Amino acid sequence: MTDETEPPLSVPNVICAATDLSLNIDTIACGFNPALQRVPQLDASTIPLDIQPGFVPSWNPRKIPVKCIGLTLPEGEDFLPSPEAKETSNDGTNLRKIEPRKNSSDEAPIAKKPKRTRVKPPSGAVSLQDRLFYLLQPPLETWLAGQELIMPFEPFPYQYEGIAWLFARHSALLADEMGLGKTMQTITGIRLLLRAGQVRRILLICPKPLIPNWQREFRMWAEELPVVVIEGNSARRRMLWTMPGVPILIANYELMTRDLPEIPAEERPKFDLLVLDEAQRIKNRESRTAEVARNVDRRRSWALTGTPIENRPEELSSLFEFLDVVPARASPDLRQLSKLADEHILRRTKDLVMSDMPPRIDRDALLQLTGAQESAYQTAEKEGIIQLNDMGDSITVQHVFELVLRLKQITNFDPLTGESIKLERLAADMEEIAASGAKAILFSQWTKSLDWLAERLQAFNPLIYHGGVPTKKREPILDRFQHDPHANLLLMSYGTGAVGLNLQFASYVFLFDRWWNPAVEDQAINRAHRIGQTNPVIITRFICENTIEERIDRVLREKRELFEAILGDGDNDNVSLSLNANEIFGLFDLKARSEDGAHSIGPSKSNAA
Amino acid sequence: MSANRESEKIRLGFMATMEVDGKGHVGGLLVTSRTGRPLEFQCTTPVKPDRTQEILYGRSLRPWLLGELIGSTLLKRVAIKPDMVIVRDEEMLELRKHTDTPVACLHEAEASHAESNSRTVGGRQLYFHGEHSADSEFVESRAHLVPGQADLEEPLDRVYEALAETVKTVLTR
Repeated sequence: MTDETEPPLSVPNVICAATDLSLNIDTIACGFNPALQRVPQLDASTIPLDIQPGFVPSWNPRKIPVKCIGLTLPEGEDFLPSPEAKETSNDGTNLRKIEPRKNSSDEAPIAKKPKRTRVKPPSGAVSLQDRLFYLLQPPLETWLAGQELIMPFEPFPYQYEGIAWLFARHSALLADEMGLGKTMQTITGIRLLLRAGQVRRILLICPKPLIPNWQREFRMWAEELPVVVIEGNSARRRMLWTMPGVPILIANYELMTRDLPEIPAEERPKFDLLVLDEAQRIKNRESRTAEVARNVDRRRSWALTGTPIENRPEELSSLFEFLDVVPARASPDLRQLSKLADEHILRRTKDLVMSDMPPRIDRDALLQLTGAQESAYQTAEKEGIIQLNDMGDSITVQHVFELVLRLKQITNFDPLTGESIKLERLAADMEEIAASGAKAILFSQWTKSLDWLAERLQAFNPLIYHGGVPTKKREPILDRFQHDPHANLLLMSYGTGAVGLNLQFASYVFLFDRWWNPAVEDQAINRAHRIGQTNPVIITRFICENTIEERIDRVLREKRELFEAILGDGDNDNVSLSLNANEIFGLFDLKARSEDGAHSIGPSKSNAA
Repeated sequence: MSANRESEKIRLGFMATMEVDGKGHVGGLLVTSRTGRPLEFQCTTPVKPDRTQEILYGRSLRPWLLGELIGSTLLKRVAIKPDMVIVRDEEMLELRKHTDTPVACLHEAEASHAESNSRTVGGRQLYFHGEHSADSEFVESRAHLVPGQADLEEPLDRVYEALAETVKTVLTR
């Protein structure tokens, strides 16, 4: 600590002085300022608009009116479901069985579109609703093979087309060549029409011997359909004709012709569909059969025949009249017939649709008469011609025809000695056929020849099938021929065996004598050469050289192609003219005395056995 | 017919539209049995939106036109009501917003849709409106009623043919 005293701190002298910060602002008068301070003067006036503003539609714009066109399709009949499909066909056809559709969710999606056969509206369907009805039908493959209608076998593509064609037509002539399945197509067409509610009551007319065949085919292709056959005494038949609730009636031509006109008009049955099988039966429009068929009350008309023209184009006119596509008594010319055929006839030949079908091999067996036959033949011909010449102007085609028949019979066998070159040749061929286990069918014009042959060909266990065999015994005969390995030969008459039978298990056909019309011969041949045939079919025509048979054969061959203009290409095998009177006279270098040279003199099939 | 058997039935509706040159769109609805047999068909006359509608609807024009306008009209019009409607055009799924009936679109081969929203019926894959996923379950529950290899696209071809025939007939009158 120090003794030294420090001097006290002095207070600073603070001096405050005020400073005037205000500035003098001088304004310079320039003239604008008073104007800026004035309240502006406002004035309003009304200006008229030229147009009123419009309003566009709101966000919920007007609903566009939508008009509809509708079609309700008939639901059709509800049939009982079909039982399991059969394993094999009754007639031995070898067709692919349709596998039942699977219903599995893990199936792969359909990779490739299957073939579809669509129903096309016929040109005659004018109204929109009619056309839509056909257009809206499902493809036949779906309809038939798919789910609802069980088919025992897969139809061929051309058969689908045929079914679709039939389905859409009120007037149809299905003229497929024999063996292509007209029966099956017709049954399936009927089945679909019933299912679609288009028909309720159907009448099917066929030759009497074919009724069991139709029954069998209905059982196979549409077993859910009840079929009633008109038979029995007149009271029972009357009851059957008028019985309601029967979808399908089958009757033969004779019963139709006899029964229907007798039923009073007000009770006469009406049908949605009338089917005529072997419709060439009404080729003569003047016939009672044709007249009755035309008078049946019906909405649809179908005709089935493998030979729409057997002799003359005019035969088509009768069929078209039945189909209601030409006026009564109309006589269309060839051009008109051809046009009508395009619209109303469906005809396919095996050549066109069955390229994979085994071939038909035709061979003519030209034979020399045996000594006894030759002698008998020469004598008969010589005497016959002398007699004809002696008759002068009184000679008729019937006289010539009788001579032809006599000579043809001798070419079959000599009635005195029993010698027959045809029998010798046949026996030789049959040895080989029987040894190979094959089967043969033989056709002849005469039941007498068939019986005569049966006696002499016992080694081959021949079976006889002709008009003399009762109808009830015919089916067992065919059944035995198919299944008995020792029955190698079936002897048939043209009249009874040529139509409607399925004999495709036979690989050989013999024409022991010639029919007057190749169309009938072809029908006979096609019993064997038809769908289901797996082997080539060998056709042997027996023709005795230097006889009436050779001359007839030559004339018939020259006439085969005359009808191509009407029925189209690929159809030269099955239509032909039978001999007319001029040609029969010409066989003996005679001239017809009659003016009517176009008259056919062949025996009618109804007269044949 | 027993109730049980009735419940085993299913009716399918097939709906399609087509444009007619300068006339607008026509639509058709074919109602079939489970096997494709036709039961009823309805179609419209041509429907053409005006210019205002084209502008205002923009990209939603076609769904509105095809689904709401044409589709729902057809569905209301048919007497035989389908249990489900099958279409080929995805824009027609719009119809589902205006009906309680399930609507399914056929699956195109190149399209890819969520598996959960698609079902296989009759050998074809179907997909549904995104806002109605329950449709998928409904269809699955009835899928066994449709034959396994039924071609669900084929009836649509019939609808197109019928529409073309109608247009040809109506417009030439």
